[in-house]
Order: sequence, then C-alpha cells, then structure tokens
Amino acid sequence: MKFDDIIIGGGLSGLTAAISLAQAGHDVAVISAGQSTLHFSGGSLDLLGCDSNGNAVESPLEAIATVSDSHPYKKVNEIEAKALNAKQLLSEAGITTTGNASANHWRITPIGAIKPTWLSVDGMATVPSSQAMPWKRVALVNIINYLDFPTKFLAAGLRAKGVEVEVKPITVPALEQLRKSPSEMRSTNIAKTIERNGLVEEVATAINNATGNNYDMVLLPAVLGIDSSATSDKLLKLISCPAGYVATLPPSVTGVRMQTLLRKRFTALGGTFFTGDQVVEGIFDGNTLKGVRTAKLDDTTLEASHFILATGSFMSRGLVADYNHVYEPALGVDVEDHSLNRKSWAVVDINSNQPYMEIGVKTDDQLRCMKNGEIITNLYATGAILSGHNSIKSLDAAGVDMLTALQAVNNILK
Amino acid sequence: MKTEDNNHHYDVIVIGGGITGAGTARDCALRGLNVLLVERHDISTGATGRNHGLLHSGARYAVTDHESATECISENMILRKIARHCVEETDGLFITLPEDDLSFQSLFVQKCNEAGIRAEIIDPELAKVMEPAVNPELTGAVRVPDASIDPFRLTMANVLDAQLHGAKTLVYHEVIDLIIEQDRVVGVKLLNHHNGEVLNAYASVTINAAGIWGMLVAQKANIKINMFPAKGSLLIFGHRVNNMVINRCRKPANADILVPDDAVCVIGTTSDRVPIDTCDDMRVTPEEVELLLNEGMKLAPSLGTTRILRAYAGVRPLVASDDDPTGRSISRGIVLLDHEKRDGLKGFITITGGKMMTYRLMAENATNLACQKLGVNKACTTATTPLPGSEPKAKKHSTFSFAHKASQGRHGTLDDSIEHGDATSDALVCECEGVSVGEVRYAVEQLHVHNLVNLRRRTRVGMGTCQGELCACRAAGVMCDNENRAQSAINDLQGFMNERWKGMQPVAWGDNLAEAQLTATIYQGLLGIDTLANERRMEYYEI
Repeated sequence: MKFDDIIIGGGLSGLTAAISLAQAGHDVAVISAGQSTLHFSGGSLDLLGCDSNGNAVESPLEAIATVSDSHPYKKVNEIEAKALNAKQLLSEAGITTTGNASANHWRITPIGAIKPTWLSVDGMATVPSSQAMPWKRVALVNIINYLDFPTKFLAAGLRAKGVEVEVKPITVPALEQLRKSPSEMRSTNIAKTIERNGLVEEVATAINNATGNNYDMVLLPAVLGIDSSATSDKLLKLISCPAGYVATLPPSVTGVRMQTLLRKRFTALGGTFFTGDQVVEGIFDGNTLKGVRTAKLDDTTLEASHFILATGSFMSRGLVADYNHVYEPALGVDVEDHSLNRKSWAVVDINSNQPYMEIGVKTDDQLRCMKNGEIITNLYATGAILSGHNSIKSLDAAGVDMLTALQAVNNILK
Repeated sequence: MKTEDNNHHYDVIVIGGGITGAGTARDCALRGLNVLLVERHDISTGATGRNHGLLHSGARYAVTDHESATECISENMILRKIARHCVEETDGLFITLPEDDLSFQSLFVQKCNEAGIRAEIIDPELAKVMEPAVNPELTGAVRVPDASIDPFRLTMANVLDAQLHGAKTLVYHEVIDLIIEQDRVVGVKLLNHHNGEVLNAYASVTINAAGIWGMLVAQKANIKINMFPAKGSLLIFGHRVNNMVINRCRKPANADILVPDDAVCVIGTTSDRVPIDTCDDMRVTPEEVELLLNEGMKLAPSLGTTRILRAYAGVRPLVASDDDPTGRSISRGIVLLDHEKRDGLKGFITITGGKMMTYRLMAENATNLACQKLGVNKACTTATTPLPGSEPKAKKHSTFSFAHKASQGRHGTLDDSIEHGDATSDALVCECEGVSVGEVRYAVEQLHVHNLVNLRRRTRVGMGTCQGELCACRAAGVMCDNENRAQSAINDLQGFMNERWKGMQPVAWGDNLAEAQLTATIYQGLLGIDTLANERRMEYYEI
C-alpha cells in the first residue's frame, strides 16, 4: 500500500499532522496502537505554563522566546500563527475551546489546584486568574460512589481561595444499577450509561433538585460527552445555575472525546486509520525511509513519500528504556542523550526535574530524524517523542504535540 | 493522647512494633499481664516490613547452623496452624546448578533430616514440571516445606490479639528515654510524634524488642549491646513467576532465594554491614540491583524479562556474643539479655537477634523471663492458640466478588468485621489488589491506620502493578473524613507517592520508567499535587 504520508502514532500530535496533511490534499495514513495520552487529559491544552524557574507564565507567546536552545519550540517557526492554526484545527474537528496564546488562563485540577493553561475545551470551568475566584458560592456536585472525583480536596482547594463551597451528592436509578458492580463506577462507564440511555434530562433534574438557583457556579465531574459534546453541552444548559465541568481522575471522558473527534475529522477528510497496530520495522534505502512494516499487516509494506514519527514518550512506548540504554523501538532512530547512564535517568526526589523526561529522539532543525548519525530526509518526529524539554515541569505537552506537528507538515509541504 | 495514659503503670512495656515486639506483647497479654506496646512509627515499619516474606523450613541453615534449622522447622509447623491466614503453603525447592557442587546435595539432605526437616530429592525433570519457572539447566533438586508468609498481616494479627487480651498499643510514640530509679528501669518517656507531647509510662518490666534500634534503646541506660546492622536488599517483581520458593542448594549466599508472595515474587537478599545512623533510610544501590537481578536469573531465567516493581532494603539486628568484642562470631540465633544479670540493671530485658521465623519463640523466651521477674507462673499458649483471622471455625462465605475474596484472603475470619454487600462499601478503591471502601474503613477504624503507608501495610493498597497510580488518590479521598483535614490528606498523598518512588527509582527502566512517567503525568500534570502539598516533617512519614 502506498500513501503520500504515513503518521506513526494516533495521539494529539499524530492526528494534528494527519488532519493538516489531509486538508492539504494528501493521501494520509495513521498507524495507531490505540490509547493516547489524551486519555489522561485535564480537558485543557497547555502551550507553556511555567518558565525555567518554575514560575507561572502569563503570556506563553512572550515566554516561548526564552525557552532553552534544546526545546522543540526552537524548531517551530511562526509560533503565534501555528497556535491559531491549532485552535482552528481543533474547532473544525468539533472541539471548540476557550483561550489564546497571548495570555494563559487557569484550569481547576481534580484535587483543587489551579494551573495555567492555553486552551480549555468549552464547558470546562476555568478562571481568569490564580488569585481571585470569580465565584462566591459554589455547589460541587458528585455522583454517589464515584471515587474518581475527590470532592473533599476540590472543596478545600476552592475554600482556600475564599469560595463558599457545598458538596451535593446526586444519583439516578441507572447509576444506582451501575453501582452494584463495584468496578463499574468509572468515568467512561458513567458517560456511556447516561448518554446511551438518554438520561441527560433526568441527571439535570437531580442536579437542579440539589442545587436550585442558589449558586454562582455549579461544578460537575467531567463524565459526560464521550462521543460528542452534544450531551455535555446539553446538561450545562439544563442546569438552572451557571455550570461547568472539572476534570476527574483518568480516564478522561473529555480526552477520549477529543481523540475520537480528531480521528473522525481525519477519516472524514479521506484519511486511512490503522488502529491497534504498531510499526515493527522500517525499510530504509540510504537516507530515505521507503516503507514500514506493522505487527498486523505482516506481508504488506506500507510505503509513503514522507513519514512522521509521533509515538510519544516512555509512557506511550514511543521510547523504551532498556537496562542499559534508551532506544526508539519502531524504526530504531537515534536517541538524544543515548549515552546517559541508567543511573542518571531518575533522581531521588520525586518532584525535582527528572532527567528521563528530557530524553527523546534526535532531530535536525527541520525536525528530521537521524539514524546512525545520518539525517533521514523524509522522516520527521513530533510531539512527546522529541528530546530537550520536561513537559510536566514546563506545562507545554499539548503545545509541543500540535505545534511541532504543524511545523513538520510545513516542512513536508515546502 | 488522653491524660489518663500519662503516668499509667503496667506490668510490662514492650518497645518495638515489629513482629518480635508484637509477638511479645501478645504472649504477655495471653498470660494475663497488663501490657503496653509502644512503636515510634507504624506497626511493622522496620525489618519486619522489609524482609522476604519467607516461611523458612530451616533447610537453608541445616548445614551451617543446626540450632537455627531446628528452631525454624518447629516454628514453621506452628505458624502454619496459628497463622494460617498469613501463610501460603507453597513448598520450596533447593536446586543445584551446573556451577554448583552436586555432592553438597547429599550432605544437605542428611543435615535436613537430622534437624527434622522433610527433604526429598526429586528428579530435575520432575522439578521442572512442578515449578516451570525454575532454571532448566538444574542438575539436582530437593523439595522442602518452605512457604510464604505475609509479615504485615502476621504482625497485625499479633497486635490485635494482644489488644483483645487487654494490651494497649501506642503507635507513633518514640521512647526518648528510659526512666531509671537507682538500679531499676521503671518506665519509659515517650514522645508522641503526632502532637509533639511527651508522656511517661511505668512498668515493672520493660522489654526492649526494637530490632536494630534496640541498640540505641539500651544505650539510653548506658548499656552496650554489640550489634551489627546488616543491610539486606531485595527486588519485587511485577508478577508471580514461581509458585514454589526457589533456593540454591549450596551454603547460604547473596540473592539465592526467590519467594512467591501474593501476586508478586521477591528475590533476595544481599548482606552488608552498614552504620547504625543510616538504618532509618535504607536505599538500594545500583550495584545491589545488578547483583540481585543476575543471581535471580540463575534461579528463574524469566526474571530477566519480568518487570521489577520496586527495590527495598531492611536491616537485620545481628548480635555478636558478649565474650567476643571483635564481632567475629556473629550468630543468627536468638539473643535474650537479662540486664539485671548482665549489667546489674533490674526490670529491663532485651530480646534480639533471631529471625521473623522465630519471633514466637523469641516472644516466649522474653515473656518467660518477664514472668519470672514478676513472679507470675503461667505457661505460654501461643504455640497452640490461633491468631485472630486464623480461628478454626472460619465462616464460609460464598461470594463472587473479587474484592470480597481478596479481603477474606487478607484478613481471614476478621473479614467478618468488614462491611460487604452494599454499594458504598463494595466500591473498589484499588483494582490491582481488590481493596474496597469497606476494607479501607475497617483498616482506618480498627487497625491503627493513620496514613496511606499504614493503609498499604494493612490492605495492600498501592502494592500492585500500578504502585498506587489511581488507588492512592481514591484511598486518600475515602480516608479523609473531614474537609478540614484535606490539606494533611494531600500531604499524605504526596508522602505516599514519595514512598512508592523510593522503591521505584533504583529500578527505573523498562516498564517501570514508563509507569513512573505516567504517574508523574497524573499526579503532577493532571492533579498538580506538587503545587498543593506542603513541606512537612517527612522523618515521621516513614519512607
């Protein structure tokens, strides 16, 4: 099989590249192993949240100019335009967001912390500043027995910022049924139960009975809208008070929806999506990648003019740490910091900058991968697999995913 | 702390909430003595919670130490009866590899038989069928009655039985001084680590059962015990590759025992002298990891491709005999010191040395001496009285619930005290280990659980393959009964993640590194715990 471009990895970065190339009229295939880090999403996307001193960034656009030379953003041109493109691309896929690259806003975490962010999916409760909360009285609604929305911590976090909070447990008969099986009370099961049985009105009534008109804000666990935002939007409209969602412990229903919608957008543009499969070998001809073989399509080589490697970091198995070295398992491209000794990958203090976070594949200034020190002219790497930054510390994961993907697409189309 | 606890007088104060102290408190209580058990951290924090979980048959010591071997097999048979909910009867193999001397085998079997240990030479081919994980290169195999035992459960059961018989337990209470009047220890001065208060407790007899830290307790009375802290490091693997204990049939050496414990297996140990002041924060070195892994692969080659969950280390309280100040003749036998005879200090006993395997016998010896001092004439009954959870008439619940079965396995007949059957109690906190809300509440209310690490020791929350990825946050939410305590619950959660990381960091490669990144993504990235947790006095969050 032959395509114009093959994207290895179906997460945020891979799908961003895939959609963008498909929009440019290319015949594109995505090879995805399945899950993506979107399943651990907080319902927001970060561009740059913290500077190198650990201080919150007010304007990502301004702060990006100060990132270290190793940072992937150094290989991205016209950041502002690409940030706009990214927001537009999400919107066209059905993921409408609040926020912009000039000024971060703040998201509320499931345990009541406040973190700076770039784009928040519409419906997520956000606040314009970390200091003053825009609400005086908040109702914190939770589904009885749903343990992945720690309301006590969330309430304490909001109270610490001067908000009056009341916790309101609710349920509906179908969820009572779900409770009988102890392992079923997880976000995605709750979403499916409510949405696929048409219970949004019933849930809204239960919430309104608990909250009336008495609150400036009703905060809900983000456990609705797994297929599309229709149900999650509808619930917010049916609630008498202003209402918004707060992320839960994983799996993130909002994140699952984002991945589903991006994938749908890609296939609607004519793209081919191979799911549950992974690349096991690259067929190289000198400095060119000719094709790839996958675990499932064992006698077929998938060929393309350009390839993008967007398989993520260690947790996504885009990188593998052996006893003695780190390698990239799909194509065997060069890894930066390859010489790092195992003993230096991780340090004792859990909260300090863990060196392994910055390990990634080596790329040239056009995001092209290398093999044995030679540039592979048609193979690009994007997203979390790139070396040179700590996405947890600098809060830049989604930005790196999307902006490097858009840059690689630019480089391909050039 | 209620004021009536201050200045209270007991028959016996037992210092140390490890297995020896817990067993001693139980024995004293069963003999009708009025007992106080004090522990500076949590129950089973020290060497008790950092060993192999091996119910020795004694075969390991048969050739080199006949006395230890006979003690082991005798206690082995007793613990199978009195602590059956803590024991899994796996049996063990002593294998000979091509590099080992096969002629050692006959001596080994002969010495086992002399010690009363059933030791049966089996065909290596049969050994491979019985234990498919064993190194297929083996040239010989002997089957012995080794088993695995859960030290956390065993210790808790002893504490519970002591309490059922009137003993009082104070955890997070550190002995900061011995109260001495003339030539007699009359009590202890305790620091409550939860509120910083100091209180006194008095007793006719004080028993020092503090493991390696017992050396420091004795020092408070200017008594020197010639102890040698011996660090032992171990690795836990992500699943149970073997169903029988696998040992090497040779003289005891490093990393030659692989024990299946619950859903995991553990390879160990190393043995290195360490300074006493390092014993509160033992960390496993990369060299130790390498040694354990390389030697472990000789027992079961599949360990080389199995994820290592974590590395940990404990400190054995080895004692040199009093007449040997050089410390060359170190025994692993039981050491009972009557400080009245030895040092002229009345009312003070030290019980040390020994092994977890022989804790009951150690407790019996210490209690016999205490009874003698108190003029109490009561026989020891601990060898025949089942521990709570192991009573013979266990109610047979028929259940289809994984969590309910798991909790029956963990708590034996005590599971009756756990709420089951309603949706709230049955809600699952930890999927890896099948821990329900009901079990968490039971542990908090009845098993001295003050934080998530305590909870882990009682229920296995966070001990499974995910090492607390989601369950820790859920459990913290369930345990936090009051919003005013949310901040300390968040600190506790951060402390727990630190403690998990301590064991993961020395083995952070492969799946473990991937898991660590996922955990960081959830706890720091998604939850932002690093921005919420406060600096706290981590020294009393025993990591």
